Amino acid sequence: MSLEAFNHSEPLTLGVELELQLVNTNDYDLAPYADDMLRLMKKTPLPGSVVPEMTNSMIEISTDICHSASEVLGQLTPIRDALVKSADKLNIAVVGGGTHPFQQWHERRIYDKPRFQELSQLYGYLSKQFTIFGQHVHIGCPNADAALLMLHRMSRYIPHFIALSASSPYVQGQDTAFDSARLNSVFAFPLSGRAPFALTWEDFTAYFNKMTRTGVVKSMKDFYWDIRPKPEFGTIEIRVFDTPLTIERAAALAGFVQSLGAWFLADQPFMPEEDDYLVYTYNRFQACRFGMDAVYVDPATGDHMPLREHILKTMDKIAGHAAVQGASSAMHMLRTEVEAGQNDALWLRERQREEQLLAEVSRQAAQRFRGTPV
Amino acid sequence: MNEILSFWAQWLRPSAGLPTVQWSLLLAVAAMAGYLTQRHTGLPKVVGYSLVGTVAGLAGFSGAVWPLQGIGLFLLELGIAIVLFECGGRIPLRWFRHNPMVLVQSITESVLTYFAVYWVLVWLQLPPQAAGPLALVALAASPAVLTRVVADTRAAGPVTERAIVLTTLSTLYALTLGSAKAELINRQSVTVLETVYPVVVVLGVSIVVAAVLALVLRMALRFMSPTSENTSMLFLALVAAGTAVAAHMGGSAPLAALLGGMLLKQLNPRPWAWPRQLGNASSLLTMLMFVLVSTVAAQADWSAPVAGVVLALIAVRLLAKAMGVALGNVGSGASWKQALWVGCAMTPMSSIALLIASQFVLASPSTGHVIAGVALPAILLMEVFGAVIATVAIYRAGESSKPWAPLTRSNNGESPRES
Repeated sequence: MSLEAFNHSEPLTLGVELELQLVNTNDYDLAPYADDMLRLMKKTPLPGSVVPEMTNSMIEISTDICHSASEVLGQLTPIRDALVKSADKLNIAVVGGGTHPFQQWHERRIYDKPRFQELSQLYGYLSKQFTIFGQHVHIGCPNADAALLMLHRMSRYIPHFIALSASSPYVQGQDTAFDSARLNSVFAFPLSGRAPFALTWEDFTAYFNKMTRTGVVKSMKDFYWDIRPKPEFGTIEIRVFDTPLTIERAAALAGFVQSLGAWFLADQPFMPEEDDYLVYTYNRFQACRFGMDAVYVDPATGDHMPLREHILKTMDKIAGHAAVQGASSAMHMLRTEVEAGQNDALWLRERQREEQLLAEVSRQAAQRFRGTPV
Repeated sequence: MNEILSFWAQWLRPSAGLPTVQWSLLLAVAAMAGYLTQRHTGLPKVVGYSLVGTVAGLAGFSGAVWPLQGIGLFLLELGIAIVLFECGGRIPLRWFRHNPMVLVQSITESVLTYFAVYWVLVWLQLPPQAAGPLALVALAASPAVLTRVVADTRAAGPVTERAIVLTTLSTLYALTLGSAKAELINRQSVTVLETVYPVVVVLGVSIVVAAVLALVLRMALRFMSPTSENTSMLFLALVAAGTAVAAHMGGSAPLAALLGGMLLKQLNPRPWAWPRQLGNASSLLTMLMFVLVSTVAAQADWSAPVAGVVLALIAVRLLAKAMGVALGNVGSGASWKQALWVGCAMTPMSSIALLIASQFVLASPSTGHVIAGVALPAILLMEVFGAVIATVAIYRAGESSKPWAPLTRSNNGESPRES
């Protein structure tokens, strides 16, 4: 199969996808209600879409094309409200977060859809361990070459995205000591990690053709990269975010991405290089492991500094662009939390320290998702 | 020889007696039968327990008396109370506010079951004094069987959850009305007040016991971890005390436990992690309950005319439950197919039905004899076949996390271990 043409999209437009947990209200373990939720959600006219995911305790919502973080929030809010209403009707709850804190992977059931069944056949238990929940942000690019340039520039900010969204400290009932343990599950898949260093669509097409000739991949869907081009939408898709615990944070993260994209397009601040990737995996690990307390190695200078400091510096640099994109309040929300060293992983750990019961942490996270103060 | 015997005699001590040995051995055999049934047929363990109880009952095992009384009655009530407390805790009242159709579904299936069974039994020329109580016995689906099936198949999902809730609610109605009806069974004509009075007494006493139980546990859970073994022991001890007190004061022990569970869930919406800790003690008690039920139920007098009535009752009940669930399904958030499987999962009859039948027999030995003649075989059949139907329903609804064992073995030679 050949690589499809890179479609046109309006630059800096946004699309957000959120994978969400469905849990029962008895012991707050994952509950296989995807079909029922989809059936009920069909009855409400909403922006975007609601689709199934790999296992039947997951659901994915997405927005239509948005122009700003506030529009993202404007679309996510009615979808969230409809989700909560449907969940109430079924006596279940919807929760954010990158992992379910204590679910057992072997109890999961693959959603009955040909692609998921094929993946399950290929990947065995990995597909059930893929019961993890991420946020994907699409950002519109002017053309194919600009998309690849944007992709590799964004790669320098992968640690920032991870630390800001990290919400998966618990896996299978254990504190992993990571703020985002979710990404370790993604790493088990072949063709995960970074995209190949190609700055023109021609070079990328050549890479894609070589890969398809090997028979290892058939389409772009087979790549599980942290950021990948999405030619049919005319976007790049950033896939390292854990699903946050609230839609407000999800929208704010989209605003951060958009502001960075606006900075790249307007100022062309730096040219990405293959050598940027020398520290990529180390920075990524640091952000997953330590979240806001990670160390960031600047790929250009080799300087080591606290990631938190680099995030704040980046926010300063893009503040003007954020204002133009209408993302100032989103940036303000993120900045306040960065200054306090807060993220969702920390919130989950604080709750667990208080409650000593991960199921109760999930219940409170469900309250947070529905907008009820905890 | 005499010297040896006299020497040995000084070591003999008074023990719990022969019945304890009989029961212990019977339970040991039941445990093995349950294991083998599940391993070789994929059916739930409760089928094996019931079959052992049935054989013991048919063989004239004297360890279980009918109608139930004394320690046997207490153990049965305690077993039911533990199951019902947990099931009551799965019913958050706020769900009915968000989805009142679930309540409508429950009431529809219960009303339809009651009247369908009543009319068919009257049509089959049973006296109305017996048909009414039998319809109440038929009303009670068995949360005990269903939850064991769910545990054995490791099921979760909308059909499983709704079947447990509807089964529990049907039990609530059956226990309230059954206990009240037992009070009235000997009266020829009663006024409305006289009809309502026993209901108020049964409900009132049960609610008071339930409230005390829920409040004490609520208080304990403020400072005790729900995952602690001690919390489970506290729970068992309190339910046992509640069982004894409720029965003594004219309430219904299982009803008090069920309402206690519902109240605690209302007062304490935190996750119920602690029933998992109940572990083997609770499993042993429920196994004892199934063996006891089938042993007692197998002591019924079987005859061809009775068999016809029993089969009619079972068929009508099955149909009425399925139709009732389907009728109330509109707008309840479930699909038609799910409604069908929920209806099937509600077919088991077991300990609660036996308890209600026992109350009628104790209240009126003459009418009770007719009631028991039909109820006991029906309970016996539906403890076994109900469990099988519920298992099939859960597998057909796709809600089991565990493949059907014999099928798995024939496919890949894998030998599944017991859960």
